[in-house]
Amino acid sequence: MSVYKRGYRRYSGPLTGRWARFLVLPRYAWRRLYQQRLVLLLTILAFIWPLLCAGFIYLTNHAELLQGLDRDFREFIQVDGRFFSIFMYVQAGFAVFLAALAGPGLIAPDLANNALPLYFSRPLTRWTYALARLTVLVGMLSIVTWIPGLILFGLQVGLAGGSWFRANWTLGAGMVAGFLMWLLVLSLVAMASSAYVRWKVVAAAVSLAFFFILSGIAEMIDNVLRVRWGHIIDPAWAVNQVWRALLGVEPIEGPGAAASAWALAAIVLLLVVVIERKLRPVEVVS
Amino acid sequence: MSPVVEIEDLKVKLGRREILHGITCRLGVSGTGKAVGLLGPNGAGKSTLILTLLGFLRASAGRARILGFDCAHGMGEARSRIGYMPENDAFIGDMTAVAFVRQMAELSGLPPEAALEKAHQVLFHVGLGEARYRELRTYSLGMKQMAKLAQAIVHGPELVVLDEPTNGLDPAARRRMLKLIAEMKNEQGMNVLVCSHLLRDIEQVCDEAVIMKDGAIVHHCNLEEERRSNRSFVELEVTGDDGGLRAALPEIGAEGVPEGLGRWRIVLPPGVEVDAIWRLAGRQNLLVRKLTHRRDTLEEIFLKAMGHIAHTPGEGAASGVAPNVTAS
Repeated sequence: MSVYKRGYRRYSGPLTGRWARFLVLPRYAWRRLYQQRLVLLLTILAFIWPLLCAGFIYLTNHAELLQGLDRDFREFIQVDGRFFSIFMYVQAGFAVFLAALAGPGLIAPDLANNALPLYFSRPLTRWTYALARLTVLVGMLSIVTWIPGLILFGLQVGLAGGSWFRANWTLGAGMVAGFLMWLLVLSLVAMASSAYVRWKVVAAAVSLAFFFILSGIAEMIDNVLRVRWGHIIDPAWAVNQVWRALLGVEPIEGPGAAASAWALAAIVLLLVVVIERKLRPVEVVS
Repeated sequence: MSPVVEIEDLKVKLGRREILHGITCRLGVSGTGKAVGLLGPNGAGKSTLILTLLGFLRASAGRARILGFDCAHGMGEARSRIGYMPENDAFIGDMTAVAFVRQMAELSGLPPEAALEKAHQVLFHVGLGEARYRELRTYSLGMKQMAKLAQAIVHGPELVVLDEPTNGLDPAARRRMLKLIAEMKNEQGMNVLVCSHLLRDIEQVCDEAVIMKDGAIVHHCNLEEERRSNRSFVELEVTGDDGGLRAALPEIGAEGVPEGLGRWRIVLPPGVEVDAIWRLAGRQNLLVRKLTHRRDTLEEIFLKAMGHIAHTPGEGAASGVAPNVTAS
């Protein structure tokens, strides 16, 4: 029977579980995100560098193809911590732009259209809503960051053998942990800016400006005060320092990895406070 | 059977200002398919009470329970059994109506296929069937109201909370909205909590009414009983000497209040039809210029609750005291 002939009857069937409900928001958001051509294009572009890196790994593991090359150069092109750190810088850049492009579209329209009371009148708390939105961003950015990174790591293990894995497994773990840390910062920045600004375009600009402005301020502090600790407020610099420690690469001059990790934690906390204050079903003006 | 809403000495503050001042009441009976109206002028605290019941605002003192669940804690389970239609625009602009309602149904716990089916059904039910694939931002105000109603009932809740459901609707859309609300309780067995400042809306669909003023409940009445027990009201305007009318009205079991210049408010007891007034006026040699016959009582009750009149005519009849109307 056609729907319009059937008439409305109350639903009395079984209900889904908590996790299925939690995943409703990410499912709908991912579907809408990948309907945007720019997001799709940037995601595809983000796979170019991992493909080149895969080619590099294949090359370094086939010594016969490198016979004609200089010995120093052959020693230089190794799959080690430096290789993965370069891979991470490039992918992290793509992640910044993807987060700025996709993040504001997740919360700003809900706030602008007063949709939060509709969500929160259902079995969904503010924290699960925020976590669902975070899942959308972290999930989307994972596709261009740690997932291809892990595939590259797997490719290297496959080509170089078990001995390479036993000697370098920390690279894989460090890469995944480092990327997840960066994705958390990026996602929270995108969410906080869209919760604060409510207008998608401006929120995207704010979320990009956040990194550039903090980087500029850090540079200014270092130059004006003639110190090196100013960079600790620059999240990109701080995460780079942490990555270097995780991948066993020589650190940059300035505050150490532990101090940088604490600085990142403080930024994350600040962003969580902003989101917590803004994601409310009703706004009370005192 | 437990009440739908149970409130004990509830106080709510917004900022430093206390909006609800120690409200206590029990509204509705769970599972009976009745409608309760929250009535009051703007700023009376109706929406604040609803937001507190939904767990959006915290009580500064007292306790509120909805469907037996504490509103401050443990609303997770209750929320899957409640549908809420907010007063203001609330939607996701770049979604089609069917996607929006389906998403809301899934968030309430319906499996995806069932949610899609129910979304289509409910959109046809509220009259948006033909427009269900249009983006919500292209909807008119009336259509948005209907879409809000659709998302509130798509999961078949036990209780539907409607905050000013007829706001901004033209007369035809308003009639349709009220008909849908009546169907929700009569045919679907849902309990409905309607918040409105429009007497007629509450009168038309509700079985129980709570009148609020300045953050307190000033009157709580069972409209069903009022309708069942008495009385219809007649507003009469006559020319001629109406001095004997007051004495003549008890002959037919009626009670009347003169309002001057030949105008009367008359309460007819059950079983007495309006023809009796015509005959009585004829016997008194009065020329009837206007006769309005109504079956509602809420306007009088509301005016009394707001302090605009001292008594309702019905009260006077019940107590045996001649009622006085003191217009303010």
